[in-house]
Amino acid sequence: MNDSEQAVTISAEGEVGIVEAQDFVARTRFEFESGGSIPELRLRYETYGYLNAARNNAILICHALTGDHHCAGVYSMEERKQGWWNFMVGPGKPINTSEYFVICSNALGGCQGSSGPGSINPETGQPYHLDFPKLTVRDMVRAQVLLLDALGIERVHAVVGGSMGGMQTLQWAIDYPERVGRYIALACGARHTAQAIAFNDTGRQAIITDPGWQQGNYTADAGPVQGMAVARMMAHITYLSDVGMESKFGRRRRSSAKEHFDVEFEVESYLRYQGQSFVTRFDANSYLYLTKALDRFDLHSPESLDATLSAVTAPGLVVGFTSDWLYPPQGNRELVEALLRVGKDASYAELEMDYGHDSFLVRAPKLYQLMRNFLQR
Amino acid sequence: MYSKNAKKRQADFQVIAQWVGEGERVLDLGCGRGVLLEYLKQTKGVYGVGVDIDFDRILSCVKRAVPVYQGDAHEILASFQENAFDRVIFSRTVEQFEDPDATLREGLRVGKRVTVGFVNHAYWKNRVHTAVRGRRIQNEVYPQPWYASLPANPFSVVEFEDYCREKNIHIRNKVYLAGDWRNERKCLPNLLAGYAIYDLSK
Repeated sequence: MNDSEQAVTISAEGEVGIVEAQDFVARTRFEFESGGSIPELRLRYETYGYLNAARNNAILICHALTGDHHCAGVYSMEERKQGWWNFMVGPGKPINTSEYFVICSNALGGCQGSSGPGSINPETGQPYHLDFPKLTVRDMVRAQVLLLDALGIERVHAVVGGSMGGMQTLQWAIDYPERVGRYIALACGARHTAQAIAFNDTGRQAIITDPGWQQGNYTADAGPVQGMAVARMMAHITYLSDVGMESKFGRRRRSSAKEHFDVEFEVESYLRYQGQSFVTRFDANSYLYLTKALDRFDLHSPESLDATLSAVTAPGLVVGFTSDWLYPPQGNRELVEALLRVGKDASYAELEMDYGHDSFLVRAPKLYQLMRNFLQR
Repeated sequence: MYSKNAKKRQADFQVIAQWVGEGERVLDLGCGRGVLLEYLKQTKGVYGVGVDIDFDRILSCVKRAVPVYQGDAHEILASFQENAFDRVIFSRTVEQFEDPDATLREGLRVGKRVTVGFVNHAYWKNRVHTAVRGRRIQNEVYPQPWYASLPANPFSVVEFEDYCREKNIHIRNKVYLAGDWRNERKCLPNLLAGYAIYDLSK
């Protein structure tokens, strides 16, 4: 028996297989909420499954802060690393690509192919750097709207996202009620707590005070690498939980430490690795822009949370995770309480998991069942 | 052992449905798998919201397309303004609240009307059971032995009515069901009713 036969017999679930990223380019000025604009908009995206004749089976997935458009499949047969939500997206999986046409785009302001501070301004031939306009979650959503227009999708079956993706999901439901069939927002909130802003700014300071940052005008081969690594190490701690880290690392040591401040504990090794690998895959200015957009996101403004959420018409599901201390269950609950106050069809479910904020990225049969039930109801 | 009786579990549905108006806003505290709300949605076109603490029951509600909130009844009540709902329903949940008085009063603040349904622990068979066997009641309604049950605070028809009088809670309607939880029992309810349902207001 070869591998492929085995896969079929083991499970009714399949893989999306080899995927390819595509580029959407709108050659008209894209205006930002802040008043700034860029001469053209680029969004890199991937799709899985097929759009039906009625064009009503699309699901838009919004990724988290440092995630990307590659949420399922692999780029080649040799590649081992699958998309970040591979267990969630695929044939027979909770977001079933045999049934739905799934779209995931790299967020505006990001650095994996979409317009962002690191991309080239076609008017100058130089990277935007800090000339890139101030960014909001609403801008990210408006960019996705243009992508859906280009794909000929008037209304999606669902918008789904966790963390920053959850905020985009909520913004979608608020700004484009007629285009959203239903929505699922995981591990998010109506706005950042003081603690979340504090963590983000500490990360930003680590980058900005790194001499390599050069007021944002660094070149590709020499950037604020130390600042980025430290920012990532700290942020990564906020994505995990006390209990999760304890069971994963405890006080386990490495025998290789010679000097006093060498890597001694496993947790140090893990975080340093996370920091180093982040530097190679993420752009520092993108990180600054995106975290700032998240800190400014506030559904309580301009009037009140209830007033903001009054615009929603689609049924929604919000999911909180007990060990998430970055976007605690309370902030997720608050959203649903407000939605119910204003008479919306909204549900709140809470999962007891030890993986902290990253729980929504972890294999969890209960979460799968919940998402299936909601998407199919 | 005893298995749960689906008919008994849904005994108060029709009575509650009689009291619910078309298209009302209904909050069901301790909604279980959302069967009552689904029924009210189908028969009365209500906007119904369920609340339950258990994730597996939330899964069922989501499947039924019943809006549901996983959490504590008292906590969600606190988040609603006065008269936010036309009706707040406590169906076999009051006896499990930590502070029944506070939660009921919160229910009366948030709902224009409150429905309470409960098992009458002074029903004669329950009395005989306890008196003769000297054991806690265990039957199809309470299938679990004491050590596997949630903490509960059982009460009787007269105790509940005393409470309403004392707190100036207006009993608008009431229905007593016999031991089979089907036929109505009008006389000697504290002795002859197995189940009681009340329609209350401030």
